[in-house]
Amino acid sequence: LRYGPYDFKPYSRDGLGFDWPITYEDVAPWYDKVERLIGVAGANEGLENTPISPPGVLLPPFPLRASEYFVKRGFESLGMSVAAARLAILTQPHQGRPACLYATPCLRGCAIAANFQSPTVLIPPARATGNLEIRTHALVYEVESNNRGLAQGVNFVDRRSGRHHSVRAKAVVLAASTCESARILLNSKSTLFPQGLANDSGLVGRYLTDTVSMYTLAQFPALEKLAPRNDDGASIFHMYVPWWGYKQQARNELDFPRGYHIQPYGNVTMPDMETLGLRVNDATAAYGSGLREELRRKYGSYFALHGIGEMIPNANTFVDLDPIVKDKWGIPVIRFHWQWGEYELRQAAHQRRTFQAVIERLGGKVVWEASETPPAGYLHETGTTRMGASAKDSVVNEFGQSWSVKNLFVVDGGIFASHPRSPTLTILALSWRNSAYLADEARKGNL
Amino acid sequence: VITPQYLSKISRRTTLQWFAAAVAASSAHRYASAMQKSASPPPVKGYGTDPDLNHPTIPWARTMTSHQLQVAAVIADIILPASGSAPAPSAIGVPDFVDEWISAPYPEQQADRTIFLAGFEWLESEAGRRWSRGFMEVEISLQEQLLQVLIPKDKITATPAWAILDQQHNSQDLSDRDPATRVRERFFSRFRYVVVGAYYTTSEGFKDIGYVGNVPLQSYPPVTEKERAILDEELSKLGIHS
Repeated sequence: LRYGPYDFKPYSRDGLGFDWPITYEDVAPWYDKVERLIGVAGANEGLENTPISPPGVLLPPFPLRASEYFVKRGFESLGMSVAAARLAILTQPHQGRPACLYATPCLRGCAIAANFQSPTVLIPPARATGNLEIRTHALVYEVESNNRGLAQGVNFVDRRSGRHHSVRAKAVVLAASTCESARILLNSKSTLFPQGLANDSGLVGRYLTDTVSMYTLAQFPALEKLAPRNDDGASIFHMYVPWWGYKQQARNELDFPRGYHIQPYGNVTMPDMETLGLRVNDATAAYGSGLREELRRKYGSYFALHGIGEMIPNANTFVDLDPIVKDKWGIPVIRFHWQWGEYELRQAAHQRRTFQAVIERLGGKVVWEASETPPAGYLHETGTTRMGASAKDSVVNEFGQSWSVKNLFVVDGGIFASHPRSPTLTILALSWRNSAYLADEARKGNL
Repeated sequence: VITPQYLSKISRRTTLQWFAAAVAASSAHRYASAMQKSASPPPVKGYGTDPDLNHPTIPWARTMTSHQLQVAAVIADIILPASGSAPAPSAIGVPDFVDEWISAPYPEQQADRTIFLAGFEWLESEAGRRWSRGFMEVEISLQEQLLQVLIPKDKITATPAWAILDQQHNSQDLSDRDPATRVRERFFSRFRYVVVGAYYTTSEGFKDIGYVGNVPLQSYPPVTEKERAILDEELSKLGIHS
């Protein structure tokens, strides 16, 4: 999903969190390039703060499944608009990759490369340049800097031999993921950088954010009426509900300032242990032919609603180096400090209430729901090497370039100043934008 | 009454592939991360997060005795009896799956191992106490009667396995409670979870439940007119009109 214009200026809108030093317009061309490269199915509904893609960029959307048609009508009857899911799964052949075959689970990787994964979509063209060398099993733990304050390479442990190695480079780009990039920087201490590299502001590791995600599973008697059907499709939801509450928030009708979108999982999936192993607890009969009948009747009638909500960065949620614990190679690990803010808890409660309302509207029954507090660990972590407008209040500039070490870049989710929705597309777009800037600066001899 | 002898229906390799497929889609990463925080190290290592698929190995030994396999077959078939063309669990190797499940060194499986072994023991001793016979020597109606004792009075909640894992880690240790209580509280729901989970991850299970996907298609068909008509009618009943 693209981030919208509001999402880059959250502080200006409600006085909370931080603005990005860039606008939607700065990133839009890079979103276009990424969507063209990886292939994104979807539609342009034109909903508030939900950007459209230029003509010809998107592939046709996945058609709705029967159960999605049903739930869509429920959402709409409560005033919530439904949009086609934006999925990096091909509904048409795209740049030499074939279209989806609507079988096998996407999340385990696609044998025909019809979905977006780095190994099948990004690495082959990079390799074709002849300039790429991949060192697997190399655990980088430190960026080495010289006495002029420039990065001069990295040190790593070979996971198999346990031996330490160094590589030299004109520039270093960290894309180790949010928490690991922060860990590497904090572990890169030197005389010039006693707080860790690129950490003059003291902000490396601070303001970690994740997604506020509640989850409710429900059963709908109406869906029992449908005959068995091949519901695999893209093995993920074909539609979603973009945040519908901007107007309400503008009128101060909600007690939390940031939104969430809903991902409805209702496809009749290939059973795994949990599919029936858990639903069996929802049956009236404890065992016997009655139980078997009930499992059969209800199999296609469940629907789960997931919220994907924005967390506002706060000072009590961060990572730092553990003073005692080291990993098996002797490298200090990071500690997580976590606290949801009051706004996240209120938003989570709203997610729960909304899910209940939709389920009730459609005559369903809640089978399982997450407790009051959103579970931590959605694994959408961002923000530990935040970008900003000045060296004082951020770790990197708008191009992911360290303010203090000009040949050091970060391109993962760590550079996010806010975290409104699923981050992948924005990580890709900014990586490309940052890399183009890096190449340009290198050509000009500015590094 | 002589209960028919349960004979293993499938090779270990097949059972292990089944085991892997059954847990992989939803929760493999949960197990991997839970493994790291497991308080007491399991007796053997599992596959780990990055197994060598070119040289597959079977990293753990099986647990259940032949007698326990018979007991598991009886209970599994009481839980999901054969129906029409749908076979009983014992006919498609579910007891072997149960054995493989409780032999795996991961936290959820190890917790089940304690519960299941204690459960088998309880069934045996309770049959002896009531009828002076072994569990396998009594009539099916009495076997069913014993199973009924183990059905929890309260409704079993449909808690996802990863949430159960979290609870187990949060509640420290299950083994400090007396085994009988633990069995009564957990054997039925956990055993049923494994039997039902295993049964419906087979092609026989797919057929019975009506899973007709995982077939390559040229294009994906949208909701049909017939389905739409059925749902429109249901929606109308709920007061949602087109």
